[in-house]
Amino acid sequence: MNTRIFTRLILLLFAAVIINSCQKDLYEVYEVNSIDVLPVNALKNKAKTDAQYISILYTNYFQTPIGPNKLLQALDAIRSIGDKQVAYDMIVSKYLNATPVLPSKEEMDADHEAFIRSTYMRFLTRQPTEAELAWMLNYLKSNPNLTPDLVYLAFSTSNEHYYY
Amino acid sequence: MPMKRRKFIKHSSMAALTAANFPYILPSGILSSTTSSQMAEHVVFVLFAGGVRQQEAVLQRYLAGSQNEDVEGNILYNLLDGPPPETKIAYGIDDLENNIVGHFPIDALLQNSLESQGTLFPEVRTTTIGHFGGLVTGMSGNSKSVNIGGLAQRPIAPTIFEYLRKHAGFKATDTWYVGLSTGNSRPLLNYSIHEDYGRRYGGNFIAPTVTFGSPGQEHFMNFKNYHETPDWNRVLEIREFLNNNFSREGFEIPHLYNTDLEENQIKSFVKSIFNKNGNIFLPPVNDNGDLKIIGYTLELLHYFKPKVTVVDLSNVDVCHGNFTAYLKNMHRADHGIGFLWKEIQNIPGMAGNTTMIVMPEHGRNENPNSIKDENDWFAYDHSDFNSRRIFTLMVGPGIDSGLRVGSEDNPIGSAADVVPTIADIFGIKQTVYDQGLLDSNARSLFDRI
Repeated sequence: MNTRIFTRLILLLFAAVIINSCQKDLYEVYEVNSIDVLPVNALKNKAKTDAQYISILYTNYFQTPIGPNKLLQALDAIRSIGDKQVAYDMIVSKYLNATPVLPSKEEMDADHEAFIRSTYMRFLTRQPTEAELAWMLNYLKSNPNLTPDLVYLAFSTSNEHYYY
Repeated sequence: MPMKRRKFIKHSSMAALTAANFPYILPSGILSSTTSSQMAEHVVFVLFAGGVRQQEAVLQRYLAGSQNEDVEGNILYNLLDGPPPETKIAYGIDDLENNIVGHFPIDALLQNSLESQGTLFPEVRTTTIGHFGGLVTGMSGNSKSVNIGGLAQRPIAPTIFEYLRKHAGFKATDTWYVGLSTGNSRPLLNYSIHEDYGRRYGGNFIAPTVTFGSPGQEHFMNFKNYHETPDWNRVLEIREFLNNNFSREGFEIPHLYNTDLEENQIKSFVKSIFNKNGNIFLPPVNDNGDLKIIGYTLELLHYFKPKVTVVDLSNVDVCHGNFTAYLKNMHRADHGIGFLWKEIQNIPGMAGNTTMIVMPEHGRNENPNSIKDENDWFAYDHSDFNSRRIFTLMVGPGIDSGLRVGSEDNPIGSAADVVPTIADIFGIKQTVYDQGLLDSNARSLFDRI
């Protein structure tokens, strides 16, 4: 091989190295799709029927299922009052006055956070958010005379409890 | 310091002028469209429901119009003028000693019949001949308002409650529907599904024989009314916090927008009736459900003094299979209505200030079905032209007394007229017409005189 051919081969090789070495590196960029952040209770969008509401409520309060005749009577009683909030308030107040299975005031005060968490689970079937927990803890602390029946009445007649 | 006469007249004239002519903003945020002064402050609308034949009512034919027996007479003598039947008395109280059904007629309660005190439209027409259709027409003024699904459906067109709450600013407890039962669609007649009206403007409903009967005794009686304790504010605060965290349009327990005060009043009312243990304002004879409803209605009137109360009597519906029981229940409905009117005159604020309207929701057939009762009398259904014949009776302040408008040869009035008539009494007739949701032929009965 003469010198000229050798030189050309070297130049060609050099050019190939230069060309290839000037290619840009390709980087994969991964992004996060934007999504709407929904409240923890956002999936509850179906209203309970009166029968569902009463069955769940009764079991919750008395830790035993309601009998069919008693359920039919409860449904009739609710239908006899046009304003369902009033009817529910009355039926819950009646149940609260009829020895339901409730935590005692002492149990509630012994551990406010545990009481709040269990109440959320019992009625709303979820844990409270940090904000909810903080508000409830503060409320219980600033209302020392608050009793469990009042908290239960509020939870079981709230709008969220009516949906699932 | 006593106000001088001239000053009083000046002030009262200005107040009257202001009330009559100046629009104001309603709680709903819209402008009041009251167009004229009110004729009365209260209306009681009795749906003489269950299907009443003209022959045994306005025509006073007793057995002559139904059983081919030559005995005529008026068994609704609190409502209508006319002598009672002289023989074959079967509509009164049973003679237990001699085992004769309905032998003793119930004494009249009113010295002067409601017909003689008010205005009677003896031949009114209804286009619907089913119970629910008739009730819906009476409540909405729209005979096509019956939902295509039939029973267990709310009316399509707004009810009189919704018109009055939206356009006249009535509170929820100003409007009540008192039903005999929770059966069929009665609990659904207090508001419609119309998108511009609906639950936001609904009236209250109660079926007292259920609320205070066995179901209510089991599930309401002895409830603790937290509303009446200082604790209630705490319940409300927690509930409000929870509801705010679940705040989405329309996602709420289907309440009727009673205020907190009104909710408390309803609960207190329920509690007070339980505490009466049955000792309510019952008519002298109270041996059927309709008469008990009258008693509970009077309790409600005393407590709330509602602006509009609809009372739904329905025991006469037994006519499908028992003509004797039908006569007895018609006679009792008359007794109940007489008692209701008499007692209203003893309610402060309602006495002399209440208009009562009585109208069956439909009539009954001209010809009987094949069922016979204990007296061998035929029963009647409701499906023919005779079922479209009803009457309407009005009594109250400013209503002509002893006036009859229309006749068998010249029927005047429609079952859909009651809604514009009540709207007329409260000064919003034109507003209701303007919505275009009534039957095209519906008119205030005052405009038919």
